[in-house]
Amino acid sequence: MDTQQEPRKTFVVPIGPQHPALKEPGHFEITVDGEIVTAATVRLGYVHRGIEKGVEQRNWAQAMYMLERICGICSHVHATAYALGVEALAGVQAPPRAQAIRVLVAELERVHSHLLWLGVAAHEGGFDTLFMYSWRDREMIMDVLEGLTGNRVNYSCNVLGGVKFDVDDTQADAIRRAVDFLEPRTHHYLKVVTTDETLIGRTRNVGKMTFLEAETLGTVGPTARASGVPRDIRVDSPYAAYPDFPVKTITATAGDLEAKFVVRIQELFESYRVIREILDKLPAGDLAVRVKPRVPPGETVSRVEAPRGELFYFLKSAGGPNPDRVKVRTPSLCNWGSVLATAPGHKLADVPMLIAGIDPCFSCNDRLVTVRRRSTAETWTWAKLRQYGIEYYR
Amino acid sequence: MNIELPPLVALLLFPGGLFLLSAGTVYEWADRKLVARFQNRIGPRWFQPVADVVKLLAKEEIVPDGVNPVLFHGLPVVALVGTLTAALYVPMAGIAPSYSFTGDLIVTLYLLSLMTLSMGLAGANTLDRFSLIGATRALTQLFSYEAPFLMALLGPAIAAGSWQISQVDAYAQGHWWLVLTQPVGFLVALVGLMGKLELPPFDSPEAETEIVAGPMTEYSGRGWALFRIGRDVELLVGLTLMAAFYLGGLANPIEFMLKTGGLLLVTAALQSLFCRLRIDQTVGMWWRIGILLALAQLFLLVFMR
Repeated sequence: MDTQQEPRKTFVVPIGPQHPALKEPGHFEITVDGEIVTAATVRLGYVHRGIEKGVEQRNWAQAMYMLERICGICSHVHATAYALGVEALAGVQAPPRAQAIRVLVAELERVHSHLLWLGVAAHEGGFDTLFMYSWRDREMIMDVLEGLTGNRVNYSCNVLGGVKFDVDDTQADAIRRAVDFLEPRTHHYLKVVTTDETLIGRTRNVGKMTFLEAETLGTVGPTARASGVPRDIRVDSPYAAYPDFPVKTITATAGDLEAKFVVRIQELFESYRVIREILDKLPAGDLAVRVKPRVPPGETVSRVEAPRGELFYFLKSAGGPNPDRVKVRTPSLCNWGSVLATAPGHKLADVPMLIAGIDPCFSCNDRLVTVRRRSTAETWTWAKLRQYGIEYYR
Repeated sequence: MNIELPPLVALLLFPGGLFLLSAGTVYEWADRKLVARFQNRIGPRWFQPVADVVKLLAKEEIVPDGVNPVLFHGLPVVALVGTLTAALYVPMAGIAPSYSFTGDLIVTLYLLSLMTLSMGLAGANTLDRFSLIGATRALTQLFSYEAPFLMALLGPAIAAGSWQISQVDAYAQGHWWLVLTQPVGFLVALVGLMGKLELPPFDSPEAETEIVAGPMTEYSGRGWALFRIGRDVELLVGLTLMAAFYLGGLANPIEFMLKTGGLLLVTAALQSLFCRLRIDQTVGMWWRIGILLALAQLFLLVFMR
């Protein structure tokens, strides 16, 4: 008998950069043995947009419009993180009413983001009916946000030192109506994801991550909370109006895909409660305070809880009209490790759901990627990069 | 209803040929529209399946590197021919089958399997990794539903005492609807038909979020169009067979439309109710539950006679 085993040829299934499961470009190499995944790697960086560098060329007020466009789904939290950071550097504080409106929009945005995720995750599992229903209901929130801010995507709610618009009684009623409509629907979805046999077959014990793994892999947001890690910036270090309108951390213990569904859906109820509370107790007062165009020199870190987890901003001012350095780290980047660590041992069919499970946002997390090809590595100046871009698309 | 048709008409116009192609696209449209309405969508317009096929037929067919061109072009034809031929042995549109002989039930079922077999081979023929995985899944699925499906259709045949489709149809017309006396068989056959057609939730061979289009990933123009028409015809033939066996037979075109339409409504509802099953779940379901149910009913029938 031949005791020496032949090295098995690996069969790699590429998912991405272009693939129906991915709404944005990212590249996963899934090594499979039959249907079983044996290894998974990820390559990011297909949608690097040079936003951090671009921000340095703009003044403090303009930078916010650019940073808001990092993410199409959670644009408001980016602007909030930036505005809070700049206000801290400038030594001003937005009025209470402005802070409350910031939280109101942030929670509305969380509702729309979680409903969107519910649909996408269901679609990855082939449950298109749930996908269509949750996206239909999500339209309610989109309409509310459009009525409130004038935009469906980039709400542009913040200015440095406050917010741009007020919430009047008609708008408050519209929001209450939408929330009243969505709450029973959300109860129904919670029932579906916890009782539907076929969905449970795809989610229960799939992508299981223990408390310890979730801690070690540095996961954030609902991904961490599904494993029982109580990590929520709104609770850990409340910002804006969260000290006045506290939220409860929702956690689950199972750490599998089902727990991720349950945590996100239960967070919706918490959001509905906070939205109602803010509308009832909206503090009176001004909407904004003046922030001087030149921000005093200094550094600060601003953290907010995006729908996907902790959003981290580092801001540095040299005292000039432009930011000296802005570093953004989005929650998706922290959660990739959990996908790659849990994928081996699962079926290939589970991989799209595992990827969707962390609610990835590829374009948001792509920061500078330096590709070093042996000795040809060089650092480009902004001018050279810009010239290269112009030449490339000529 | 019994109509004598000249062979050429039967093959090219009705019930074969043109009628099958057009009726198949109509049933595909009805299926898509129903699923869309169940999912709170608008759904396609009535001519969409025809438009899809016309567009695909007009498209350039790209033959990828590393395939056997004979198989690549031949398999779609085999698949379509298999389903078209199968249609000649069933009481299409409520008219007695054009051709009939003892044991044609078995032949028809095997002709219907040609479709899945061709798809599996077409996927295995290419070097594409999505196609290969899709082909493996398609053939795995074939081996799991085929036996229970066959046994479920044997139920009415045993009750009628004949393996000839026209005689089973005649028996069904003269007795209680067999769905009432053999509900288990009906259920297994209906779910088996959905597995055969790779409809959701049994669409893991072509799960788009995992393996793009499965075995069909490399097919672009004519081949893909032929496979699509083949599947439409298979849907039609499958529904006809089910209605003839379990829903009291097909005596005339009106009964045909009502009964197959009703079945389509049920399959469309089932399609929109569930999450896609993984291939291991599909196989497990068939071999742990489906086959046992079908066997139990078969034994019961044999002993009751």
